[in-house]
Amino acid sequence: MRRSIILTTTASGLTPVLLLVSLYVTFRGHNAPGGGFAGGLIMGTAIILRYLADGRPGIRSTRLDPVVLVAAGLGLSLITSTAPLVFGSQFMDSKLIDLDVPLIGEIHFVTAGFFDIGVHVLVVGVVMSILIAFARADDEAGTAGDDVGAAPAGGGAATPAGDGPATGTATGTSAGTSTGERP
Amino acid sequence: MITILALHLIAALICLAPGEHARRWTLGVATVPPLVGFVWLCTQAGAVLDGQPVVESVGWVPQIGLDLDLRLDGFALLMGLLVTGIGVLVFTYSISYFTHERAIGRMAGLLVAFAGAMLGLVLSDGLLTLFVFWELTSITSFLLIGFDDRSTAARTAAVRALLVTGMGGLCLLAGLLILGQQADTGTISQLLADAPTGAVVNAALVLVLIGAFTKSAQWPFHFWLPGAMAAPTPVSAYLHSATMVKAGIVVIARFAPAFAEAGPWRPMVVTAGVITMFVGGLGALHQQDAKLALAHGTVSQLGLLVVLFGLGTPETTFAGVVMLTAHALFKAALFLIVGIIDHGAHTRDLRRLQGLTGRLPIIATAAFLAAASMAAIPPTLGFVAKEAGLDGLIDADIGLWGVVALVGVASAAVLTVAYTGRWTWFAFRPTAPGTLDGQPGIDPARVHHPSPAFAYAPVLLAGASLVLGLVAPVVSPFFDDVAGALTQLPEDIELALWHGPTTALAVSVVVLALGAALTVYVVRRESGRQAPAGRGERAYATTYDELIHGAKRVTRYTQSGSLPAYLGIVFTTLLVIVVVALLSGIGDAGGWPWADSALQVVAAILTGLMGLSVLTARRRFTAAVLLGGTGYGLAIVFLIYGAPDLALTQFLVETITIVMFLLVLGRLPDRWAEGPRWAPSWVRILIAGSVGAAVAAFAMVISVSRTAPSVGDEYLARTVPEGGGRNSVNVTLVDFRGFDTQGEITVLAVAAVGVVNIVGVARREQRRKRLLDGTDDITDDLASDAIDRVVR
Repeated sequence: MRRSIILTTTASGLTPVLLLVSLYVTFRGHNAPGGGFAGGLIMGTAIILRYLADGRPGIRSTRLDPVVLVAAGLGLSLITSTAPLVFGSQFMDSKLIDLDVPLIGEIHFVTAGFFDIGVHVLVVGVVMSILIAFARADDEAGTAGDDVGAAPAGGGAATPAGDGPATGTATGTSAGTSTGERP
Repeated sequence: MITILALHLIAALICLAPGEHARRWTLGVATVPPLVGFVWLCTQAGAVLDGQPVVESVGWVPQIGLDLDLRLDGFALLMGLLVTGIGVLVFTYSISYFTHERAIGRMAGLLVAFAGAMLGLVLSDGLLTLFVFWELTSITSFLLIGFDDRSTAARTAAVRALLVTGMGGLCLLAGLLILGQQADTGTISQLLADAPTGAVVNAALVLVLIGAFTKSAQWPFHFWLPGAMAAPTPVSAYLHSATMVKAGIVVIARFAPAFAEAGPWRPMVVTAGVITMFVGGLGALHQQDAKLALAHGTVSQLGLLVVLFGLGTPETTFAGVVMLTAHALFKAALFLIVGIIDHGAHTRDLRRLQGLTGRLPIIATAAFLAAASMAAIPPTLGFVAKEAGLDGLIDADIGLWGVVALVGVASAAVLTVAYTGRWTWFAFRPTAPGTLDGQPGIDPARVHHPSPAFAYAPVLLAGASLVLGLVAPVVSPFFDDVAGALTQLPEDIELALWHGPTTALAVSVVVLALGAALTVYVVRRESGRQAPAGRGERAYATTYDELIHGAKRVTRYTQSGSLPAYLGIVFTTLLVIVVVALLSGIGDAGGWPWADSALQVVAAILTGLMGLSVLTARRRFTAAVLLGGTGYGLAIVFLIYGAPDLALTQFLVETITIVMFLLVLGRLPDRWAEGPRWAPSWVRILIAGSVGAAVAAFAMVISVSRTAPSVGDEYLARTVPEGGGRNSVNVTLVDFRGFDTQGEITVLAVAAVGVVNIVGVARREQRRKRLLDGTDDITDDLASDAIDRVVR
């Protein structure tokens, strides 16, 4: 796969911004357009962008199994919805909390916010799961030359001759970067 | 009561949490809830036996009358004491038994979860509560039988047990629902207090009995129980002798006094019970595996219990209660003893065991006592129970079926004496010179002694079998009160070792004499043949295979695997529904606003153009991007209507969808494929065109057809005061309609796991193919191509 330097550079600059924006969208959701689902999708988009820019090794080398994220998100939202039962309230009952924290000021919070965070985590996990599933499948298909040592048998055969070495180097770098900057 | 059940659940989670890292301490944790339960039951015993049941009810889904109804009456007390008491003994025994097992935490967690489910079952008063706990015992028992997940035999046995008891569970559910409907109640106590009658009730009772028969391994469903012996011995001792198999007995015991007079009841229980007694008894005579022999014995004993309880007369019910207790005690003891022998001698093959009496005198004594109780030899509890049973059967004035039951019980008792005698002889015979059937005997000197912690449980149980028999008149009032919770007992009923020269005693003497003779005969001509698979087992195998093949045939017929065919069927169905709905005139189709603003017209034109260009696209890739474009157009419409949340989500979803599309498209040929021959292009155009037109018309009609008031205003008003936020959409999603969202994200999570697995399966198949061919698949190149195009 040929790589666009412009895209790679833009993506590395954009990723932190996108991650911040996604968190911002999730947390502002209670009072302004946004919310966990939209925030999670933005984070997913950021990850997809990195995938497109860095190619497969970046996302493939992710050590965190995204299914764990799916489970964590679902678990967090479930805990949020069932926790009121323990305190004698109704299922899914939300509670307003106003905290007066010194130096920071008044913090206004709703327990339903945790539910939204769960949704966020879950959506990120879903996007990543699907992405990684396909990335791994492509990996093993062993088509692209950017599989550094991943598919020694198939890799060479399918890569156009002149393309192989150059991409190999580029990938090595980007894989390293993406592992380092993993959210 | 609910606290104690919850305690079981918590303990189970604690045991399961460490996964493979769990050590034997988890079994210690598992012992706590039954112990607490046992102590609590003891503290309640006085009041409960005086006829004041403890009742607890927690609203669960009150809208449909589903409550968690628990009721501790005398019978529940006895069952509860057995479940928790034997539970404590078995669990502490397990600590010594499982020395090198892997997944010990799973075993401990499942055992205590099962104990909780079983305790819940005996305590339930709600019809549906009973069913829920019933199914829980089925599931936990399935997991426990298949505990050794590397063994095919264990897995097969587990599936068989689950299918048989699961099928029975469904029958039970149907029966309970009908009974509840007929009696217009949700609780067992009310149902029994005012028992309905009629043909429908009879049908329901047949269903309930089928459910009880499957669980309690009655002929013709008995075959799963010996198979369940694939489970580790403590599990067999707990589930398949003392507790779970009693679930069906519990239901029969509760229902019989009220429903025994109903048409099909007595013929069914007596037929099934008597046949089961014989099938189990004959099976036990043939087994070479000490544990399997006991399992067949359990089948036989369960048949006896079904007959005693099933007849429903006060005397037999009373005898049933005593028999149930005696059986739980001696059978648990014998199973645990087999575990000790297996542990020490590394075999439980009856042909190889020898000289154990001298080597393990205490264990042997316990075994003799328990076996004496099983064979109903005085002065054990087993004898007292069987005497009471025979008395009850002789006195019962219920015509033909009472006589059949008496003859059946008496002759099956001969078998019981014989298989008990045979088992005891072979398990504990003195060292015999030479070998039997070419199997080398064990060397008793090399059998190591069990530690006191290992041995105390069976000794205690066997001791109880003896002591309770000796003091029968003392414990008689207790059993009186227990049986009194089931039915109205006559005043003069009581247990005794010596009733005087009664008919029952004469029968007992004859039974013992014949049984002893049969024992000698059987032991002499011990053939060593393994029992052939029973008819039930064969019928099960045939049914199972046929079911699988049938399912495959149906699947092959209905699931062609052709996407055009699926889409065609789905869209045609949609078309029919929409057109019928439109023609039947939902709402009044009038007063359509053409557009609310000029911007909308622009958005609509853009969307429409992109939609049209999808049709002319020659490459899949172009079509996917254009489709995404129509989605963006829709997002603009949302925005114009003042729904930024919706627009934002729509934009994001479209973006991600396009990328996902590309990931998939990479695996497909670049250009459109030719359609299938059965659907030429005009057919496809017709379907697609009419679906599009119908959906468009439908959307327009329903947008002006609102009849109910919008909930929007109410939600808007409640957003700030109740939701605590100013974004009404978000508050609705996470709070007001949070339950919906919960369901939706669950679907999302399941879908993600599904995609990962499907891709994974495809991947593995591809790899296998590549390994076979030694070549790469050409389509793989397209994946990188498609992504490449996006990048440029």
